[in-house]
Amino acid sequence: MRSILNKLLTAMRGGVNELGEAVVDGQGNRILEQELRDSEQELKQAKQELAALMAESASLARQIRSEQDNASKREQDARKAIAAGQEDLAREVAERIVGHERRAVELTQTRELLQQRIAGLKERVQRAEKQLADYRRELQVVKTNERVLRTTAQIDTNINSQKSSLNTAKETLERIRERQAREEDRQTASATLEKELTGADLDEKLKAAGIDGEQDAIDNVLARLKGSPAQ
Amino acid sequence: MDIQTLTLALGDSTHAGRRFDVMPITGDEPVLQVTVSGAEETPVYLTVTDTQILCLAYLFDEQELNPERLNELHENMLRLSVPMPLSSLGKTGDHYVVYGALSPTSGAAEIMQELVTLAENAIDLLQTFEDYLA
Repeated sequence: MRSILNKLLTAMRGGVNELGEAVVDGQGNRILEQELRDSEQELKQAKQELAALMAESASLARQIRSEQDNASKREQDARKAIAAGQEDLAREVAERIVGHERRAVELTQTRELLQQRIAGLKERVQRAEKQLADYRRELQVVKTNERVLRTTAQIDTNINSQKSSLNTAKETLERIRERQAREEDRQTASATLEKELTGADLDEKLKAAGIDGEQDAIDNVLARLKGSPAQ
Repeated sequence: MDIQTLTLALGDSTHAGRRFDVMPITGDEPVLQVTVSGAEETPVYLTVTDTQILCLAYLFDEQELNPERLNELHENMLRLSVPMPLSSLGKTGDHYVVYGALSPTSGAAEIMQELVTLAENAIDLLQTFEDYLA
């Protein structure tokens, strides 16, 4: 990953990538994709092999158990033969027991070797998986970079051809300020309009002139009441 | 979410009181120019890839900047990039950009949120960094 990032940075600093030209060229991309496919293939093979070995190991475990079971069964037979004084028969059974025990030991040794191979293979699978994730991440970085460059090149071409939209930051800032001023004006205007519509502005002016409609109304009512005293 | 679906969705929708004016940018890549109402000065460009939806707005070009204060600007941009909601600061070619990347499985609401946030952030950033312009 680091080598890819360094390659990208070197190319970017050198300005190689003008107009969306791929930083890591198509060839580099294809190599990465090939590496990805190889890794995927290796992983698939390793997993298949692992599955086969694990099945073999399970089968061996079954055979070992079977040999051990047979040995212990024969041991009982041998005891019975000895108890019955059948020395020859007991010897024959003992030979069988030896056979079972030897096979169990042999199978166990084979299985131990197998287990070692399984452990090694599991490690290989993990390594391949990690490698695969690394390649995928690298490829994503390379592809995203190319996409961004192509996209921005496309935007620039379009903006340039439209002419009108190509703004310097200063022009953009000027337009932002104009809009913000317009919005402020609109807010002030609508607040003024609101006052006019509700008559609040007139009330304010009358009050300022010492004419208070509310106070006048109260005075009028008081005068009326005084003019017609209670019976 | 593909470009066509998004174009249709944005044209008909409002989000947080904003409308979206969508214009496809002609070329090989599927790119949309989205103008967010109330932040028309900083259009957001959007492109969809296999792995992400990339939205970006241009801030300024390198040649517009005061070269003596470039380091200070970069330092400030790096620091501001972290707390800025849904946006990061970056550079592509000569363009300094503010951008955000979304999962391709994002819905229209998330994308609209991103577009509004980016357009507003671009305005705030431009005004913040105005002093660094040459």
